[in-house]
Amino acid sequence: MEFSKFFNSTIKLNIILIISFSISVNSFILLSNVNNAFYVLFHLTFIYLIFYHYHYYLYLVALVYGILFDILLLNNIGAHLITFLSLLILFILIRKYLIRLSSYQIIFIYFITLIILFLIEQFLANLIHNYKFNMSSIFNFFLISLIIFIPTIFLFTKLDK
Amino acid sequence: MAPKFQIKVFQISTFIKNLTIISIVTISFLLVFFSKSDLYVINGIKSISTSVIIPITRVISAPVNAVSNLVDEYNQFRSLKFENKLLQEEIIRLKKWQTLAIQNSRENKVLKKLLNATDNNLSLVKTASLINRNDTIYSKLINLNAGYEDKIEKNMSAINERGLLGKVIDTTSNNSRVILLTDPNLSISVKTISDGIFSLLSGNGDGKYLVSSFIKENKMPRLGDIVVTSGTAQIFPVDLLVGKVAKVEKNRFFVLPFVDFENIDYVQIVTSK
Repeated sequence: MEFSKFFNSTIKLNIILIISFSISVNSFILLSNVNNAFYVLFHLTFIYLIFYHYHYYLYLVALVYGILFDILLLNNIGAHLITFLSLLILFILIRKYLIRLSSYQIIFIYFITLIILFLIEQFLANLIHNYKFNMSSIFNFFLISLIIFIPTIFLFTKLDK
Repeated sequence: MAPKFQIKVFQISTFIKNLTIISIVTISFLLVFFSKSDLYVINGIKSISTSVIIPITRVISAPVNAVSNLVDEYNQFRSLKFENKLLQEEIIRLKKWQTLAIQNSRENKVLKKLLNATDNNLSLVKTASLINRNDTIYSKLINLNAGYEDKIEKNMSAINERGLLGKVIDTTSNNSRVILLTDPNLSISVKTISDGIFSLLSGNGDGKYLVSSFIKENKMPRLGDIVVTSGTAQIFPVDLLVGKVAKVEKNRFFVLPFVDFENIDYVQIVTSK
């Protein structure tokens, strides 16, 4: 029963991952913020999966989505793939310290991780693919993150329950 | 016997897990390292993402697409009256131009015969329509519903009725990807019509303007000068309309493209004759 509960919420989170990926890679000129919101949601879901549903299959997920994001958004493999895999490796290294933290502290780290991910992606896109470091885009992601962070956490917690 | 067996299974599975992680990290490193090369694997991954993944993502994002279309229709409906007035004015203006254009066209034909010149330097490969676009986050790319089965090849130019759009960077059997002029990673060799000042333009990153990255002999164009492709790099055909000089600074200038990148429906793939 416990296993099936875990399995169900993981599947649901993966479905959210697929939907948010699909919407974020299809640009809608009139609803460009929808693209950005789903891009943020993808990152939120991926970090949530790593923090609360860590499993080895996430390396494969990071590989597939990293490559697809890079090819569809940047036309070259690099920024997203490196960021996603680095996050997974970093999580294994700091996992033992995260367990000791309170839920509020973890949520704070969760949010900080999300913003740092966007910054690293922009930095790598600039470094590897010559894309301009776009501060307005980072600010936009930050604002969207602020708006959807709490409702998303609430939704994910509901899914887990 | 049983505990020993369990330990063995655990060790093997841990070994496999670790091996998988190391393999994935190695594959990722190799992919990043060779991503800009023309390797078969990289091209294969790009082709799969264009021909398989994009249609799937389009199906999944169909509800959002429907909402976007609805918003678009509502906006169009709201501006109908105003647009009608504008169009009536434009019809009157265009009728005057039409008379003048017919006269000029006759004159051109006569002059071309005298000079023994060809009609134009473009040959149309295929007219394709837009499947989807990836130009909100990072790059400025669009996907078209025609590929190498329609004789579209890499590096062919993409234009529409207003001017140069970009170039083909990837083709599959029925799809192709076009990088737009506004992408910072695409450089085009251009010249001004009035003074023939040669320069290189690339996307500014804001999705609106093109910015000069190199200006031959540091000659600056004037505000309002029309910019066309120079044809010197032999990627784009010569004399394709690019845009108008909108801002001139000390060491660089900005060009506003003629193409409205937010309203692309049909794209023509062309090459030099």
